[in-house]
Amino acid sequence: MLFVAGLCFGFTYKPALNEFEIHGYAQGTTYNIIYYAADTRVNKYQTDSLLEELDKSVSLYQPASLINKFNASPKGVYIDTLLKALVSKALEINKQTNGMVDVTVKPLVDAWGFGSVKNTVKPNSTVISKIKKSVGMSNLKLVGNYLSKKRPEVQIDLNGIAQGYSADLLAQLLERKGIYNYMIEIGGELRIKGSKPNGNLFKIGIESINVNDFEPQPMRKIVSLKQGALTTSGTYRKHVKANGKEISHLINPKTGYPVSNEMISVTVCASDAITADGFDNGFMLMGLTQTLKYLKDRTDIGAYIIYKRSNGSIADTTTKGFNILTITE
Amino acid sequence: MIRRTFLKNSGLVAGGLLLSNGQLLAKPANGIIKIGIIGCGDRGKGIMRVIDQFPDKFKTVAICDVLDMRLKEAQKFAKQTVYKQYTNHKQLLENKDVDAVVIAVPLNMHYPVAVDSLKANKHLYLEKTMTYNVRQALDLLKLVKNHPKQVVQVGHQYRYSPLYYKVKEMIEKGYLGQISQVDCRWDRNANWRRPVPDPSLERQINWRMYKEYSGGLVAELLSHQIDFINWAFDTHPSEFMATGGIDVFKDGRETFDNVQVTLRYPEKNLIGNFGATCGNSRDGYLFKIKGTKGTVSLLTDQGMFYPEQSLLKEKGVVDGVTGATRITWAKEGGTPILPEPTRDGTWYALNDFYDKIGTGELPDSNIYTGAKTAICVHLANQALYNNEIVHWKDEYNVKA
Repeated sequence: MLFVAGLCFGFTYKPALNEFEIHGYAQGTTYNIIYYAADTRVNKYQTDSLLEELDKSVSLYQPASLINKFNASPKGVYIDTLLKALVSKALEINKQTNGMVDVTVKPLVDAWGFGSVKNTVKPNSTVISKIKKSVGMSNLKLVGNYLSKKRPEVQIDLNGIAQGYSADLLAQLLERKGIYNYMIEIGGELRIKGSKPNGNLFKIGIESINVNDFEPQPMRKIVSLKQGALTTSGTYRKHVKANGKEISHLINPKTGYPVSNEMISVTVCASDAITADGFDNGFMLMGLTQTLKYLKDRTDIGAYIIYKRSNGSIADTTTKGFNILTITE
Repeated sequence: MIRRTFLKNSGLVAGGLLLSNGQLLAKPANGIIKIGIIGCGDRGKGIMRVIDQFPDKFKTVAICDVLDMRLKEAQKFAKQTVYKQYTNHKQLLENKDVDAVVIAVPLNMHYPVAVDSLKANKHLYLEKTMTYNVRQALDLLKLVKNHPKQVVQVGHQYRYSPLYYKVKEMIEKGYLGQISQVDCRWDRNANWRRPVPDPSLERQINWRMYKEYSGGLVAELLSHQIDFINWAFDTHPSEFMATGGIDVFKDGRETFDNVQVTLRYPEKNLIGNFGATCGNSRDGYLFKIKGTKGTVSLLTDQGMFYPEQSLLKEKGVVDGVTGATRITWAKEGGTPILPEPTRDGTWYALNDFYDKIGTGELPDSNIYTGAKTAICVHLANQALYNNEIVHWKDEYNVKA
């Protein structure tokens, strides 16, 4: 005993860090958390409850959720802090992207068959222009905790940013419990901080676009980041067929039609996941040239873009911010 | 009339119907195939319901059943027209209006009715299991070879669903890795009987309870999964082991209400477990195919793929992956094999039956695969009822 104590003498006591993993299911997809701590600081019960709380506010798949109450209401409803945070962020990103990211696009998404409401018949131009009247952020007004709408038909879909936000909420939970080395992934959106006990950063694979869910392909690119968020939007996984033609799930809120451009996927890096997730769909809609222009001098947000050249070949590129914020292997 | 007598009578007249008609069997001018339904029990009526969904392809014109009550029930499907009704299938087969017949009679009658239908130059949609025993399977195969212009499709309808084609493809492409086990169940917590209005009709209505007419749970339910494994792996079992009993419903039945069959496919290094009970419904329909890389778990209309966790980790030179959101419907985190549930298999099977009548090609569930599965069912029942290990014989090898 004395001998052992003698060995320890002179060292600052530093508990060994153990790896903890939490795997679960939320928002129609899976989530995974890895964190390093001396002991179990956060368990699955806590993460599940946190995500269930969020679902009660923003899930379109829960009939009694607050968002569904708003969508069904003629004028509007009082909202909670979770929904308020998301709507505020949505309004902000809408301004920053010149209206390309728009959560009021839901009726259009449903009409094209991508939403919680299934529709297999392609809508015609009359239907589209009718629906477009209730699309646009000017239809929403947030005063205090009251979210109002201009017309009863106005509906919102926060799926584009809710996953990112849930990663942020999980990160807050972990940090409140004193965890500073973690990786949180929900539906392919990530929030990361710190490193592994051996000092290595978390390695993040950017998925190959040749998706075969039955036989995972090698990663397209592997990156690391000290802290922040990585999210991806891509057209390669979620397609539906309408009138026999494959269409992309991204709808341009201004035209009302699915977007067909050279973008295959955009991986966005930012300090938090709600921001990254909020912008990724916007960049998909903006297309390559506009996105590169938009991000040219930005160092707080960056993107890795996979796109199709006019000759059909696949190419990729990164922006300045992406190169600063991440380390490519 | 007791079915056994009926069968004997049919045998006597069979020879008289050997009319050959070389011209036959092109599709009718308006493209609508006229159907005769032989056997109007639950399955026969179920098929009629699906046929009604294809008014531009099929039209039911005649129905046959030995029970008047079944004819009455089936007649209700007719909207305006009255079907020609028969209590003897031979008379239905004499009806020149009928292009094709659906045979949905008790298992012991499959062979004699199929033989008569072939000789009457009709196309056949013959319900599964194809025949009651090995001998009949091989004999029917011989006869069908002599009637090359007639399409004979066997009613293993589930594997006509796009889901089951996809799973066959996944197996062939090696997505599941080396597959060593297949687990199949078809359970219920019920006596598997149909209501009998008059005690004298017990054996005709509840023919599934009696060995004379039925191959029991193995023939009526597990044959679908046995057939799928034969087809998807292009193989057949070599050893048949089984156990079972009348364990839940000691009500005078003869066929077992609790069975477990284990089949060995040595060429594929594969074991197949096929079980059914009438005493528990928790699993219901269960179909799992287990390989070194992942598991496929199937219902009749939807399926999931679960990659092996250890493999996902091996791929993990990375700690996390970012990508377009993968939608997961199951809490266990698998991937749906198809995005939406499929229709009932019969819908696809009848569509293909129509196409094959047009092209004259061999259906995917055909006389060869049907014979192979019928032989498997018979051998499994031999193992089950005789309490012995039964082996496949070379003479059973049938291939197109």
